[in-house]
Amino acid sequence: MKKIPVILDGDPGHDDAIAWVLANASPMLDICACTSVCGNQTIEKTTYNALRIMTLIGLDVPMAMGRDKPLVGDRINAPSVHGQTGLDGPVLPEPVAEPLSINSVELMAQIIDESDEPVYIIPTGPLTNIGALLLLYPQLKPKIARISLMGGGISFGNWTPAAEFNILVDPEAADIVFRSGVPITMSGLDVTQRALVFPEDFERIRALQNPVAIVMAEWLNFFYRFHRSIGYAGAPVHDAVAVTALIKPQILTTQQLYIQIEKTGDYCRGMTVADRFGVYGKPPNATVIMDIDRSAFIDLLVAAAAYYGEETR
Amino acid sequence: MKKKPIILDCDTGVDDAIAIMLANRIPQFDLRAITTVAGNVELEKTTSNSLRVLELIGSQVPVYAGAATPLFRDQVTAGHVHGENGLGGIHLPLHRTVASSLPAWDVIYKEAIVCEGALELIAVGPLTNLGLALVKYHELPKLIKRIVIMGGSATMGNVTPAAEFNIFADPEAADIVFRSGVPVFMCGLDATLQAYYTHDEIEQVGALNNKPAKFFHDVLQGLLSFSLDYGFPGACLHDPMTVLYAADDTIFETHHVGIRVETKGILTQGKTVTDLYSDKKMEPNAYIVTNVDRKAFQTRLCKLMASFN
Repeated sequence: MKKIPVILDGDPGHDDAIAWVLANASPMLDICACTSVCGNQTIEKTTYNALRIMTLIGLDVPMAMGRDKPLVGDRINAPSVHGQTGLDGPVLPEPVAEPLSINSVELMAQIIDESDEPVYIIPTGPLTNIGALLLLYPQLKPKIARISLMGGGISFGNWTPAAEFNILVDPEAADIVFRSGVPITMSGLDVTQRALVFPEDFERIRALQNPVAIVMAEWLNFFYRFHRSIGYAGAPVHDAVAVTALIKPQILTTQQLYIQIEKTGDYCRGMTVADRFGVYGKPPNATVIMDIDRSAFIDLLVAAAAYYGEETR
Repeated sequence: MKKKPIILDCDTGVDDAIAIMLANRIPQFDLRAITTVAGNVELEKTTSNSLRVLELIGSQVPVYAGAATPLFRDQVTAGHVHGENGLGGIHLPLHRTVASSLPAWDVIYKEAIVCEGALELIAVGPLTNLGLALVKYHELPKLIKRIVIMGGSATMGNVTPAAEFNIFADPEAADIVFRSGVPVFMCGLDATLQAYYTHDEIEQVGALNNKPAKFFHDVLQGLLSFSLDYGFPGACLHDPMTVLYAADDTIFETHHVGIRVETKGILTQGKTVTDLYSDKKMEPNAYIVTNVDRKAFQTRLCKLMASFN
């Protein structure tokens, strides 16, 4: 099977980390690079976390650091969800590599430019890097096969009542992405809040007893503790859905929609506005994931965790 | 049973017309007045339509006119949904006039005093009259028991992707209402899109042997074909559902939530921002109706229309 080239762009983050564990275990993906973005925590912390995750899962690819804030406005971080390090919980190995001297956007441009075939990007944080890439290198658009992102929600928000965190942090970048014409798959809260991993599922993963599986179970446990305190029955592993959209689309339900980003407003900045009734008469610009076969999703995560215990690796 | 004193504020309108008929027959209601506002069509038409409907059913409830335009914005109407005359092209005779030149907001205040805190406002159009009443009479919030509105939505709009028509038409007035301190019960698209009447169900009411039922049938034909064109299973009876909710909430699902009105957004102006599904919560100031037992709704409505026999 021919692998598809992907760039992992995230602000790890527990669910980013699990998304990367899933991506790295997939025989379908050829991970060309990882890039960090300021979101769940500061850029220094998300970069450090990205390198620690790569070391843990044995992902030896170029890594570059993003900018220390969104394109416009002040940064927003989420220590209440991910802790002071941005990836609180289990002890992780110290990084064996350092970020490149070029920045995330330059690395992305280089990878895409040099690739023989169009590259997929999986952004699981704010869209700062992708927005900058599209602004600075518009000529590369035809070489971006698809952007499969975690962000938004067509019915509701989380960080504010109307906006989901990743889009809220950098609405201007999101606006550039959604206007770009590049194919987009959007895994928003509509689906990701259904991508719940329950405590009994953590135990299936922990029981695999390989080093990655044990850490993954601990991440899930940490992530769940916060979510349980606000009424969730499990850990919503938002970011892993954006990876699932590329490697196991058959377990997802989708809708083609025209999405715009609200950049202003007292309450709605960062909202992904979906034209469900075709009021604007515009063609769809995104494949929006609306639902997931939860038990198949859990099986996928368990299989990914098991990959790290296989002797043939 | 002590009846609820009610003022129905409407922008009559096809479904408003039905709401007016029902409000006159609901045994729990002491319908004190109909106040009119510009919305679905211009004020002159919403006022005369209200009078025509009352004349059709032989009701003596007084009608008072209110605001002809939104507080700050240019007027938007929905003639494409309700027909040029607002009643789907149906012509009803008119021999009555408004009860007096007293504007809607003064009537609301006057009745609030008379009812000694028991008055309930049901507003099924843009909230301009209520906004003006609240701005003019600072003690009004203490005199109103609750406000039940048709408007808004937790998850989607109709006139724009984010906003429902009544709130979109006058977002600032809606903001005043939601910040007033009076409990607001919001019957938005979440529930009212479930409160539809299919072709067959409309025929069933039309077969009742009375003039209001015949009017119900005829006035809905345009809205029905508009709705079917949009892929809905029938004509959504937004305003009638709201009136039935105000009478008896037992067939509905309601949640206590925070609701704010977006007045500044470019794509989202007039959106009722709700914390029902989000992690972030706001100070709860309202109740949102999310579900209705459609069959039970239909039965209740049908029974009220049969009561004209």
